Amino acid sequence: MNTGVAGTASRSLASLRAVLLVLFALTSIGPLLVLVVQSLGGAWFFPALFPEHWTLGAWNLMKSGDALPGALGTSVGLAMATAIVACTVAIPLGRALARLRGWPRHVAAAAAFLPVAAPPLALGTGLQVMLIGLGLGGSAAGVLIAHSVPAIGYLTLLFLGTFTVFDARVEDESRTLGATRAQTWRRVTLPLLRPQIAEALIVGFLVSWTQFALTLVVGGGEVRALPLEVFAYVRAGQDQRAAVGALLLVIPPAAAFVWLRWAARRTVVPFS
Amino acid sequence: MNAMASGHALHLDHLSLPFGDGRGIADFSLSVAAGERVVVLGPSGAGKTSLLRAVAGLMRIDSGCVRVGAVDVTGLPPERRDIVYLHQSPVLFPHLSVAENVAFPLRVRGQRGQAVHARVLTALSAMRLETLGRRDVGTLSGGQRHRVALARAIAARPAVLLLDEPLSALDPTLRNDVRAAIVAAQEEYGPAMMLVTHDLDDAAFLADRVAVLLDGRTAQVSSPAQLFSHPATLAVARFLGLYQEIPGRIRADGGVDSPLGLLAAATLRDVAPASGPVVVVVRVEELRVGSPCEGVAQGSIVAFRQRPRGATAVVRLADGGNGFELEATLSASEPSPTIGDAVGVSLDPRRSLVFPADTLPCST
Repeated sequence: MNTGVAGTASRSLASLRAVLLVLFALTSIGPLLVLVVQSLGGAWFFPALFPEHWTLGAWNLMKSGDALPGALGTSVGLAMATAIVACTVAIPLGRALARLRGWPRHVAAAAAFLPVAAPPLALGTGLQVMLIGLGLGGSAAGVLIAHSVPAIGYLTLLFLGTFTVFDARVEDESRTLGATRAQTWRRVTLPLLRPQIAEALIVGFLVSWTQFALTLVVGGGEVRALPLEVFAYVRAGQDQRAAVGALLLVIPPAAAFVWLRWAARRTVVPFS
Repeated sequence: MNAMASGHALHLDHLSLPFGDGRGIADFSLSVAAGERVVVLGPSGAGKTSLLRAVAGLMRIDSGCVRVGAVDVTGLPPERRDIVYLHQSPVLFPHLSVAENVAFPLRVRGQRGQAVHARVLTALSAMRLETLGRRDVGTLSGGQRHRVALARAIAARPAVLLLDEPLSALDPTLRNDVRAAIVAAQEEYGPAMMLVTHDLDDAAFLADRVAVLLDGRTAQVSSPAQLFSHPATLAVARFLGLYQEIPGRIRADGGVDSPLGLLAAATLRDVAPASGPVVVVVRVEELRVGSPCEGVAQGSIVAFRQRPRGATAVVRLADGGNGFELEATLSASEPSPTIGDAVGVSLDPRRSLVFPADTLPCST
């Protein structure tokens, strides 16, 4: 009798688990599949399961003088520049914060966390005022600065963690063996931190890549990055173009995920 | 001392440096000749590592001067001091092979080509690492890592080599291996070598001279033999941990009243000049358990202790000793006593030392 009750409970649990897995798959992969079908579908109306016909028409826009390729180029350029600027600032900043002790360290870490936690719209509104004052409102340089603010926050926190556990004895050893500070950085620290720097560049790129509110508010519609273009297509009901743009937005995060999984398996560095 | 020595001596003049929450190291002076090995011996937490780091330029000093040969390097950065500092556990660059690690100090000096190759091979050979040049340093054993670090230091050929507790945390077999490697490293070209340790065996094995660092100050600088046979102060004797302390009171005639009876002045090697309380220290192996009718005092065995060099007995002295307990060595030729047995304790007073009880050094 007891065995029967236990068996039923076990079967119910297994069914619940299966339902949760299906729901998870639908919510995580489902939207992407819809985008793929939408970008290749000629006309697709509810309740049809698939489009009436298949076409590469929307993808061919990438080869034409459409706004989408230009927006893609702007986004790639902004994201790469943001990653480099943020990394350049965050490495020395994270290292300096890692050397602090007690309340200064907590205050500094909180300051780095603020632009990460603040809603982009709020951050953008504040930055817009400052950047207009500097004559950078509506410019790519202004948007780059705006994107760099949260990216520096993210990367500073990342390097704070990295340098907190980094074994600084390798640098001491290098110095007493005759290497200058610059040689130690180039020949020892940089090679050892290469995986972390690559990771940081990816994170910095993605922080910029996914910015919508900051680009809109600071760029004032003059700087047409990919998220803004996709949003414009959605508002205009151009579903195929929106789907192509949205899929382009997904590619870098997906590639980053795959790379990070691969890199995590081969990273061996001297951290205490 | 190495006959091949041709480099510069290290001179530390009146160094004071912060350390921990206390007053730090104060007024530390020491010279290490080229080709000489000087061991700084002190308890854990005495500031030995801070001292080495300060000499290497890796931490600030409050005052004093570090000279290599005639050059004052106090204000120079680590890379311009001609001093290599080796950490307690060998720190190798994990992104470089063994040979590349050894070549590192040459590469950063701008050397290239055959000259580097030859120096690396020489250093690897000196450390018996010829076959490991291409190995990833992550695959090396503990002893091999130490030898690679030493080979790298040899390749750098600094005037001064600083080694921070190089033998701690090593098993006995590995210790011998690394000790031999340290001696070989110095014989390669004769740098001034300064090591710090808290281990008496390492100090005795490696040192030409030993400097004892207690409470932030130099308590004694002498040869190992002199140190172990003749500690300069009661504090040094206590730190060495080799001695049995016997309290006493010095008499007007120079004799010492002690739980072992009257120790005559003529037979005590050192006699504190002042009157008042003193401490007689004698190595445990100089106190011997014998038959009850022998020795300077009688008592009974209350415990046995097994030491690396043999068994000892804890003897509680009879009435005259007011129940004082001391540790004495068991004689191999005598029948084994048991707990409670009455025994006599003998010592050679000529091998005991007398210090004032206030730990100030006594003059001889």
